[in-house]
Amino acid sequence: MSKKIPAHEGTTGTRRQILGGFSLMALAAGAAATGAVGGVALTASSGPAMAAPSTKRRKMVFIQHQPHTVSTAWSEGLAEVFKVQGNIDYQLLDGQNKADVQISLMDTVINDKVAAIFLQPADSVALAPSVKKAARAGIPVITLNIDATAPHAAHIEMSHYLGAIEIAKAMGDKMGGQGKVVIINAPPGQTVRDARTNGFMEGLKRHHPGIKVIADQVADWDRKKAQDVFSTLLAANPDIGGVYGVNDSMALGAVDVAKTKGIIDKVVIFGNDGEKDALESIERGELAGTQFTDVFQQGRFAAAVATVLATGGVPATAFAEQGYLLMPYVIATKETVASIQPSQRW
Amino acid sequence: MIRTARLPNRELIIVFVVTIAVFCWLSGSFRTTGNLENVLIGFSHTAILAVGQSLPLLLGGIDLSVGSIMALAGMAAFDAYIVLGLPGWIVLPGALVLATLAGAVNGVLIAKLKLQPFIATLATMAAYRGLTYAISGRQIWPEIATRPITDPLIVAFDDYVGHVPYAFFLLLIVFAVVQLLLGVTKFGRDLYTIGGNVEAARLCGINVDRAVIISYSISGLCAGFAALVLVSRMTTSTESLGIGIEMSAIAAAIIGGVSLQGGIGNVFGPVIGAFLLGVVLIGLNLVGIPTYAQPVLTGLILLGAVWYDRLLVQRRARAILAKQAANP
Repeated sequence: MSKKIPAHEGTTGTRRQILGGFSLMALAAGAAATGAVGGVALTASSGPAMAAPSTKRRKMVFIQHQPHTVSTAWSEGLAEVFKVQGNIDYQLLDGQNKADVQISLMDTVINDKVAAIFLQPADSVALAPSVKKAARAGIPVITLNIDATAPHAAHIEMSHYLGAIEIAKAMGDKMGGQGKVVIINAPPGQTVRDARTNGFMEGLKRHHPGIKVIADQVADWDRKKAQDVFSTLLAANPDIGGVYGVNDSMALGAVDVAKTKGIIDKVVIFGNDGEKDALESIERGELAGTQFTDVFQQGRFAAAVATVLATGGVPATAFAEQGYLLMPYVIATKETVASIQPSQRW
Repeated sequence: MIRTARLPNRELIIVFVVTIAVFCWLSGSFRTTGNLENVLIGFSHTAILAVGQSLPLLLGGIDLSVGSIMALAGMAAFDAYIVLGLPGWIVLPGALVLATLAGAVNGVLIAKLKLQPFIATLATMAAYRGLTYAISGRQIWPEIATRPITDPLIVAFDDYVGHVPYAFFLLLIVFAVVQLLLGVTKFGRDLYTIGGNVEAARLCGINVDRAVIISYSISGLCAGFAALVLVSRMTTSTESLGIGIEMSAIAAAIIGGVSLQGGIGNVFGPVIGAFLLGVVLIGLNLVGIPTYAQPVLTGLILLGAVWYDRLLVQRRARAILAKQAANP
């Protein structure tokens, strides 16, 4: 019994894993003794029996770009699903915002013959040779949000292009179809940057041709850098009417500046992703909106894909083409934000 | 005398071998030829940087700008190939010349303007990184950022002879040349003299400025080689290439027995130091140590090396005192 209980959580240390194992055992024992069928106890006592088809242990890893709320939430979603399987050892690895570190990690896990790799590439081109190498080794690679330029098993993303079109529409509506907009953007070389920028431009063209994009500057996904970038932009163009932060961190950086300068009511600021801080900012009436994706769910979907492939014995070499999965999303504004449940907030 | 006493790096080699043995025992994936390939390709560029870094360190200086020089050389290579369409046989030497010049500028700032090496290279670290952004074709035309470099010559460092990557052969050549420079040439002897006591060296008629400029130029050149290895592996370059890598290079050199006080060390130790750090990182991943605990362990290894270095310094000082007491 105790051997089959899943006690592996990617981000936690061995000691916590052991403790976690013990607490699950205690719960299972408690449930058995009292006959209670609580939610947690059900998972612990029925999980192993359900995982019976395969007792072979498999290792799966997630190589993140850098520590961030999005990748942390993905990892939680992944770990949640793997825990129930009982036969998957999951590990989170950090790319430290460096392509060369991610490449070295890819080499290591390919050599370790892991069953699947989840990858958020630091650069779409730089990681392509590693992705090819994994494919040659028969290991499915599932990219999250940032695609790699080499074909691989699957890419699961927050519907960047479609969402950005809707953001442009919502922003333009709030601006009355007139004015100047700036984009605070991700670094070049990541496909998500292109998809969101192109979607936003397309959305303006389609719905609000009267709005002009007067600047498009890089702030490396970072709140602090976005503050500096937006301050500079604002000094040169005091009449900026709208800001599109390509992620929430950068949009919130713009919110910080707008609040300090007392112009938060005059600038329509949109983010992207939908992290907890952004939703709270929308509720306070500061951030105008964002594209919300349930990132826990995105992690769970990715885990589902990989688990089915691995238990079904499907190698990367069996793919005729790269698979795609677009996540459902909500354009969260003051009007719609209440529809996002507490359990979906990350 | 002091120099030859440290040459064998005996203790470091023991630690290195024991570390490898422990990971071989703990992880089945570690004791594979695939893993050997990964260690060699993954850390040859760090070892090349560590060899280059040893020269400034031997002078009692430091070169913090190597990561930024890598980015500059890498981006120049990217621009030359992707934007200007130049062939590999022009791109490669061009990037190396640029990296060497960037190193030479460090040397001139230190030798001629009498800036502290730490300050001078801290300034150029920021300046070269800024320059990288300024010349980045990726920033000017983001749509070309997702185009890979395909020139067979530029991407050749990612190829293997058997299980040994070309990048490792490059490291061997760089190591052999620099070790020869240090071991048998007047320049090498001068370097140790300057590192030991710069005023004494000057009084002996050694051209200190020239030695400083050459040393930092070689460090820059090594950064250029490291950049080309990474560009070759990534088939592109990024503005953030090499951020923080100076710390790995300096750590590898110090673990390799190069004294921060200058004048003591060789370049064999730094090579082993770089691969020790690599083996530890890969090993920790394979045995499943959480990712955020790893830098802590790397830090502890560095602390251990510095502590051991202090111990040796004290032991040497005691030996000299004892000798003086014996022959008054």
